[in-house]
Amino acid sequence: MSAPTQESDAMVTTADPGVGTDAPRGLPFWANPRFGLLVVIVVLVIVFTSLRSSFLNTSLTLVPMQQDVSVFLVVGLAQLCVLSLGHMNLAVPRMAAISAFAMGWCYQHLSVPLWLGLLIGLVVGAAVGALAGWIITATGVNSFIVTLALDFALVGLVSLLYSHVGDGVAFPVHPAGMTALRNDTFSDYCAGNICGPPVPLIVPIALVAALLVAVLFRLARVGREMLMTGSNLRAARLSGIPTSRRIIQAHALSGALAALAGFLLAVNSGAFSADIGNSFLLPSFLGPVLGGTLLSGGAVSILGTVLGAALTEVIRTGLNLLNFSVQDLNIYIGLVLLVALSLDRVRHVLAERRGTRA
Amino acid sequence: MTFIAEKIVKVFPGVRALDHATLRLEPGAIHALLGENGAGKSTLIKVVTGVYKPDGGRLLTTAGDGTMTELNFSGPLDAQRAGIGVVHQERNLVPAFSVAENIALQAVPKRHGFVDRDAMRNLARQCLDRLDVQLDVDRTVGALSVAQMQLVEIAKALAVDSTVLLLDEPTASLTGDEAERLYTVVRSLRDQGHSVVLVSHRLEEVFAVADTVTVLRDGRSVAEAEPLAAHTRDDVVTLMVGRALADLHLDARSVAKDAVPALELDDVSTADGHRDISLRVQPGEILGLYGLVGAGRSELARAVLGLGAITGGTVRVHGKPASIRSVSHALQRYRLGYVTENRKEEGLFLDQTIARNVSVTVWRRLSRAGLVRGKDERALVDRYKDQLGMRISGPMQLAGQLSGGNQQKVSLAKWLAADCDILVIDEPTVGIDVRTKAAFHELIVGLADSGIAILLISSDLPEMITLADRIAVMSDYRIVGELDNDHRYDKTSQHVIRMIHAEIAS
Amino acid sequence: MTSTIDTTGAKPSGEPDSRRGSSLLRAQVFLRGTDFTLIVIALVGFVVLASTTGGNLLTGGTLKAVFQYLAVPILVGLAQMSVLAVGQMNLSVGVLTGFTAMAAAWLMVRAGLPAPVAVIAAVLLGGAVGLANGLLVVLTRINGFIVTLATMTVIDGLRYGVNGTGTFQNYSSGLVSLGQGSILGVPNVFILAIAVAGAVAVFFRRAVLGRQLLASGGNPFAARLSGISNDRAIVVAHTLSGLLAGVAGIVVVALSGSVNASIGDDLLLPSFAAPIIGGVALTGGVVAVLGTCLAAFIVRLVDVAQAQYSIDRSWVDLIVGAVVLGAVLITQVRTGREGRRK
Repeated sequence: MSAPTQESDAMVTTADPGVGTDAPRGLPFWANPRFGLLVVIVVLVIVFTSLRSSFLNTSLTLVPMQQDVSVFLVVGLAQLCVLSLGHMNLAVPRMAAISAFAMGWCYQHLSVPLWLGLLIGLVVGAAVGALAGWIITATGVNSFIVTLALDFALVGLVSLLYSHVGDGVAFPVHPAGMTALRNDTFSDYCAGNICGPPVPLIVPIALVAALLVAVLFRLARVGREMLMTGSNLRAARLSGIPTSRRIIQAHALSGALAALAGFLLAVNSGAFSADIGNSFLLPSFLGPVLGGTLLSGGAVSILGTVLGAALTEVIRTGLNLLNFSVQDLNIYIGLVLLVALSLDRVRHVLAERRGTRA
Repeated sequence: MTFIAEKIVKVFPGVRALDHATLRLEPGAIHALLGENGAGKSTLIKVVTGVYKPDGGRLLTTAGDGTMTELNFSGPLDAQRAGIGVVHQERNLVPAFSVAENIALQAVPKRHGFVDRDAMRNLARQCLDRLDVQLDVDRTVGALSVAQMQLVEIAKALAVDSTVLLLDEPTASLTGDEAERLYTVVRSLRDQGHSVVLVSHRLEEVFAVADTVTVLRDGRSVAEAEPLAAHTRDDVVTLMVGRALADLHLDARSVAKDAVPALELDDVSTADGHRDISLRVQPGEILGLYGLVGAGRSELARAVLGLGAITGGTVRVHGKPASIRSVSHALQRYRLGYVTENRKEEGLFLDQTIARNVSVTVWRRLSRAGLVRGKDERALVDRYKDQLGMRISGPMQLAGQLSGGNQQKVSLAKWLAADCDILVIDEPTVGIDVRTKAAFHELIVGLADSGIAILLISSDLPEMITLADRIAVMSDYRIVGELDNDHRYDKTSQHVIRMIHAEIAS
Repeated sequence: MTSTIDTTGAKPSGEPDSRRGSSLLRAQVFLRGTDFTLIVIALVGFVVLASTTGGNLLTGGTLKAVFQYLAVPILVGLAQMSVLAVGQMNLSVGVLTGFTAMAAAWLMVRAGLPAPVAVIAAVLLGGAVGLANGLLVVLTRINGFIVTLATMTVIDGLRYGVNGTGTFQNYSSGLVSLGQGSILGVPNVFILAIAVAGAVAVFFRRAVLGRQLLASGGNPFAARLSGISNDRAIVVAHTLSGLLAGVAGIVVVALSGSVNASIGDDLLLPSFAAPIIGGVALTGGVVAVLGTCLAAFIVRLVDVAQAQYSIDRSWVDLIVGAVVLGAVLITQVRTGREGRRK
């Protein structure tokens, strides 16, 4: 179901003899993309700090960076859920947008508490995601096309909703707790003389989401069955896995996480507005792909997604401090993605070569 | 031009797939290449068509004046250029292209960088005419029947002047009429001076069409280009199977014949076309389901598992009527498992660990509060590692890194872990070397001894006769006979083969 | 889906000895095909729109605008179709259009080059970027989606690098009057787009190279056995895609008289919508030039309707999304039914 890959060359030459080697081929630690990411992040932090000491300034840089990373981490997780199946969700931006609308509307007109509005938003996101999953399983159409078309439709729907049901382009409402969530860090809360670290309040939300997703794919039966479905659909079906249900569930989860990302962005920016989600498409792929999650399905890396999101944010903030324009950032982020992926490829080839020789 | 593949040796890790096999093809003759499964036919074909490089021996052509040319193929394209055409089982056609363009694909007539469509159509028509086939050359190949596609493939091979044409099980998916038409084409090719190699399991067809025969057994050619007229069918069968492999010999096992059958099919018909299928397997019994490729055995198994529709009759599990909706239903409710023949595509998750491959069917049982603990999974692997004799470096090794035999064991372990008491095992030893095969046979018998009812599907007759307690023979989606297996190879094999060929002949 | 090529490729009258039976058959195939459905939808949509707006649509200015602004969607649709033909995707189509437009304007305004030179250079620039995409895919063996996602990001930055958020205007008046002009009431840019579409159709239908691309996309294994390089097919397809995006960029420059870096932002989704509605499969091996053009026209009609009725712009996206979903559902149902018939 994923985008076609380049297998043409292997097809003829490696026609399978039916017998392979039993030699274990563990890859060395430096072939692990997570390790490479960590090194790059550390190096970049050192470079940026030596160029601009304000890079490590708490309120100016570190706090906003953590807030942004939180949003992009959750966005990446939303994509990662369907990448586990070998699917894509191009509608992540608009699933976030429509959920943000639902949340804003509830806060504005129903005056629901913060947590209840969030819950409603998650349900809306999950429902839209489940719809995408259902269309994919019912018709067998490629997830790329289905979510692309869904994104189109939702773009229209969201702005219609804002202009007709809502009040223009944003809900100006600030439910209780939202401002604190936006402005405070744990250092604002002190017990006697001991205050918390300068970590924004939304960071734990994103981390809990990441932890839950990690538990899902590593330990939970449902998540593992999603991975198996992505790894080999036919074998999964023949092993008694209800594959259609797993596909729908993965897409629903993707929608719910997109909704959470929408919520976090709304908190960060201070308003539930129509442009929430607009900037989500690229980051949703950046985090997982940099972190080593494949488009072909069957394997995900949550830690990699965390690091991938962090790396992108470090580059963004660092270049910003060096007075690069917003647009120039894109050039470097794109190049980093290309270089990272190419190096990953090289590393893998080298590691395999070493492994087979040993 | 005579084509000779001389004393070809091909070694895979652990297996000598070809051991000085010789194939000699004269022009103007139809040559049958015969052998049981695993005898080395497909490996030999892959060597001849340039897919594999041989580890020993050479490929030669001799011209009319006796000069010999040695051929060295670095890929399938080279073989094609040397005049060796193949009708691939995996269809070698571009579905969206017209018949004409597919036929001409290797040598597209061009003019100033553009396709010369008239020349292309003419070329295609010429090729089709030589086959005496009426086919609109402008039709899209994707819209053709399988039989027509095969004719297009043959025409395609003619378009590049193939002198040798390999047909690998060409009639496996054709009806009787279509097969007859194909063989008319093949005969006319012979009369035009081509050498045609025919690989087929259907001895009837071979004897009706072929002139000479090469028989492979255990990678060796036990008959080299001998005229077929000098042989009877029984001779050929004897050559193919030889002495039954020196493998384990089992005494007839005693199975309680009067117990309630674990799985019973009563006059079952399916949407795939099975009619009046009646079978029963007792607990602890191995029922063999033998038949040629395309007889409908795997399809029957799939229908029973809920992957195809059963349209009539009754399926009973432990005496109670059962309607199985899906594999997971079969597994949860009836403890019925299916070890697929197609282990790479359907049996295994190659990019996942062995632990996950083995435990995928029992996560439901292993999980507490929806979570599965890795420890439990690894314990499961350790258990079956010993029981099945898997050679693995650890439970976290990827399934794709294992040899065929060990992969098959993982595929089997999955169902054992699920605690099945009925197992359908489909072609368990295809692509597995002889030694592992014997170990596998012991394993299957051991499972039956422990009380599991086994429906064994196999095209490998020696295997069937070694393992099965009873053998049901299927041909053309019907059961054509059933016999108690006394494990005496000579008699039983003749009996089974006659059952099939009597059916085909009638 | 597989019938698409045949229906666009079949010229019932072109063949001297075509039997009546087969041309009848082909006519039937055509009537059942995607193109026919699209033609009907396009005609009905146009007539309904023309009559409900009281003929306003048919007045010179409006009608001209309908087709003027159809040129770019057709070109980017074709650019996407070219890579879909080999089973690839090109996410950089939209931003590349913007980048080449900015580059062309920069060459004229800042470098002072004459318009024809700038135009050719911009198209070549598009081709060079496409070539880079193709080489990256082939050399790194990374999924084409990810490669072009990355290059999309890079080009997006480059696009703004040309002149920041500033606008270029007052460049070659000759080019602009050519771009806004028309021949016999038909806008020049539309003629250009149709001519390019014709060339692309001929390329995929007749040229050996084009057929090789389709063979590679349709069955890489068979293509290899026929001596066709699948790698080369991918590189050629991406290069062609880049060239077409370059042409689209030039059309924007010539048509609007002023360009800024936001050009191309809203082109990515339409670039997929046109070929997919037009009947092109993501799996490769099939192109539908006529279908892509018709689909672009239908999407344009939705746009026009929005302007004519002064409806909220948002309806356009909603409807286009629904149409794409509907189109894939219908195709799926139809192929499912045909599959059962066999």
